[in-house]
Amino acid sequence: MTSKRKRIITCKMGLDSHDNGLRIISKWLMDSGYEVIYSGLYNTPERIVKTAIEEGADAIGMSFLCGGHLFYADKLSKELRQKNMEHIKVIIGGVIPPDDVLKLKSLGIDAIFTPGTPKEKILGVIQSLLA
Amino acid sequence: MKQKEGKISTYIVGEKVPHFKSLSGIEYKEVYSRSDWNGELPDPGKYPFTRGIHRDMYRGRLWTRRQQSGFGTPEESNERIKYLLRIGQTGINMDVDIATKSGLDPDYPLARADVGLQGTSLCTYEDMAALYKDIDLDQVSSTLIVQPPCSAIIMAQYLLLAKERKIPWEKLIGTIMNCALSQYVGANFQATTSFFPVDMSVKIGLDVMEYLVPHLPRWNIININAYNIRETGISAVQEAAFSMSLASDYIKELIKRGLDIDSFARRMAFFSAADIDLFEEVAKLRAMRRIWARMLKEKFGAKNEQSLRFRTAIQTAALPLTAQQPLNNIVRTTIQTLVAVLAGTQSIHTTGYDEAYSLPTEESHKLSIRTQQIIAYETKVVNSVDPLGGSYLVETLTDQIEEQIWELMKVIEDKGGFIQCFKEGWVEEEFNKARYQYAESIEIGEHPIVGVNIFREEDEEIKINIFKQAPEMQAKRIQYAQDYRKNRDQEPVKRALGRIYDLVKRKSEVNLFEPIMEAVKARATVQQIHDAMRQAADFVIPG
Repeated sequence: MTSKRKRIITCKMGLDSHDNGLRIISKWLMDSGYEVIYSGLYNTPERIVKTAIEEGADAIGMSFLCGGHLFYADKLSKELRQKNMEHIKVIIGGVIPPDDVLKLKSLGIDAIFTPGTPKEKILGVIQSLLA
Repeated sequence: MKQKEGKISTYIVGEKVPHFKSLSGIEYKEVYSRSDWNGELPDPGKYPFTRGIHRDMYRGRLWTRRQQSGFGTPEESNERIKYLLRIGQTGINMDVDIATKSGLDPDYPLARADVGLQGTSLCTYEDMAALYKDIDLDQVSSTLIVQPPCSAIIMAQYLLLAKERKIPWEKLIGTIMNCALSQYVGANFQATTSFFPVDMSVKIGLDVMEYLVPHLPRWNIININAYNIRETGISAVQEAAFSMSLASDYIKELIKRGLDIDSFARRMAFFSAADIDLFEEVAKLRAMRRIWARMLKEKFGAKNEQSLRFRTAIQTAALPLTAQQPLNNIVRTTIQTLVAVLAGTQSIHTTGYDEAYSLPTEESHKLSIRTQQIIAYETKVVNSVDPLGGSYLVETLTDQIEEQIWELMKVIEDKGGFIQCFKEGWVEEEFNKARYQYAESIEIGEHPIVGVNIFREEDEEIKINIFKQAPEMQAKRIQYAQDYRKNRDQEPVKRALGRIYDLVKRKSEVNLFEPIMEAVKARATVQQIHDAMRQAADFVIPG
C-alpha cells in the first residue's frame, strides 16, 4: 500500500540570497521521498501561496539568514488564511534568535529549525507534521 | 559530563579523533621529517614570496584591524564606525545592505523587508556623506563592500565626497571589492544573474578598475572574494584555485583594454577565508603567494615586483561557527585569527561569536578587536617573519596544496576560464557537490563540531546579548527614498540617466564610470541608475 507522496515547496523570501541551507534541506527532503517544489530565491508570500494552491502542496518551507523572518512569516500566514489554505503546514529554518522562535510559534508557524539541528530531527518533525 | 553517544570516556578506553585528514581531504602523516622536505626557502619579501610579501612583515607594520560593519541608516552605521575606530580598529570596512547591492531603492516592494538588515542602506550621495560624517577620508583606509554595477555608484559617491571635502583623490587609500561574480553572495548563479545582466556587471566592474588605475594610485581596484565562495563548503584548494582563475580572467580583460600589466596588477588583491585547520590554512596562503608571483611573472610578463606580491584581507570563516554554545565561537575565532597572522595576511576581520544569531553587538565587535590586539601585543608571534616556515609539515603541505591548486586551475583554464565556468553552471555544480558533502560529513560525524555532533547539550539556554535593529528603521528609509526622489531638481537627473541609457543602448563599449558619477552628482538614486541601464538592456528584474 503506497500513499501519495507529500509535496513541499522550499523557498526564500525577499532579497535574502544565501541558499546553502535551502539547498541542503531540499536535497534531504527529496532523498527522503518527498516531492520538493524548489522555488529558489526572490519569492513573495502571494506567489508562493499561489504556487501552493496550483501544486497541491502539503507544506511550505522558508529559509532565512538576513532577519526578515517575522515579516514574511506574518505575511505568509495571513495570505494562507485569506486563501483558505490554512491546512498547509509552514516550516521555517535559518538564523533565528531565540526570542523570535517564540514569536514565530505564536504566529502559527508549525516548525522552526535553527542552525546545527541534526538531519534526523528535522525529517522526523516534518514526517510527524505531515502524517 | 556525559557525551551524547552515551559512552563515558575512561582512561582504559581512551579517546581519539575520527581521522587524520585535513579539511580539504589531505592525509596528515603521523610525523614529518627531513625526508619529506629538505629544501631552500627564499627570504621574505623576495620572489616568490612564500614567506611573506615584505622582508619584515609585522615587525615593520602590524596587519590592519578591519572589522566589517554596517546596518540600518547611514547615521547608525556612522556611529558604529566611529565606535570601532575609538576602540582600536585601524581600517574601515563598510558593508551596504542587500537592497543597495541589488540596485534597489528601499521602497521597492521586494526590498522593503530586507532594508538595512545586513548592511547600511545607502541610496543617495547624501547617504554616503552621512556614513562618513566626522571621518577624515585621507587619515584612514576604507574598504567598500559592494559589487558591480553598484560598485560604480558607491565608488562615485565616495569620490564626490572626497572632492566636496577638498581631499585630493591621490591621497585616498582603500579598496572597492568590485567583483561581479564572487562578491554579492559568493557566485550564487540565480542571485548573480537576477538583478542585472551578468556580462554587463563584469564589464562595469572592469570600467571601474580602468577608471581607478590612473586616478587613485593608492586604491585597490578589486578584491576577488574567495571568502564568500568558501562559505559554500568548498575546500581550501578550490577556494584558492577558483579565486586565482577569476583573477586571471580579469587580468586578461584589462590587458585586452590596453592597460599595461604593471599599471594595475599591484592594485589587485584578494579576500580570503581563515578556516580552522590551522596548518592547512597557513599552507594555503603561502601557496597562493607563490602561485600569484609565478602567474604574474611567467604567464602575464609582469616586470615590477609590486605586481608579483599577493595581498589579501582575511575574514575568519563563519562556517565552523555554531549556534550551539555560542561562547565556544570565541575560541574558534581566536584560533582562526592566529591562523591568519601565522599565514601573513594584510588585514583581518575576526568574526563575532554571535555570528549564528545576528549582526555583531558593540560587545562582540569589541571582543573581535581585542582578540587581534592580544595576539598582536601579547603572544610575540609577530616578532619573527613566517614563524612556521621551515617546518617539515608546513613546507610539505604548502607544496602539496600548491600542486593541487595548479591542477584545478588547469582544469578551469581548459574549460575556458572561471567566468565561462560560472556562466555554464559548472561552478554552481561544484558548490552543490561541496555543500551536500559538507552537510553529510557533519551528519555522520566525520566532521566533528563540538556542541553540534559531539558534546551536545540538549535544551541549552542561549544567554548572549543579541543585536536588535532600531524600530521603524525600515519605514524611515522607505520614506527617505520617496521624499528624496520627489524633492529635487528633476531635469539634471533625467539628463544624466538619459545619457546612461543612450550609452548602454547604442555605445555599449564606452566606459560607464564617469556617466554614472554624473548621475550620482545630479542626485539620481541607486535604483534609478540601475534602472536606466536595465531598461536599455531590456532586462526585467524579479518583482
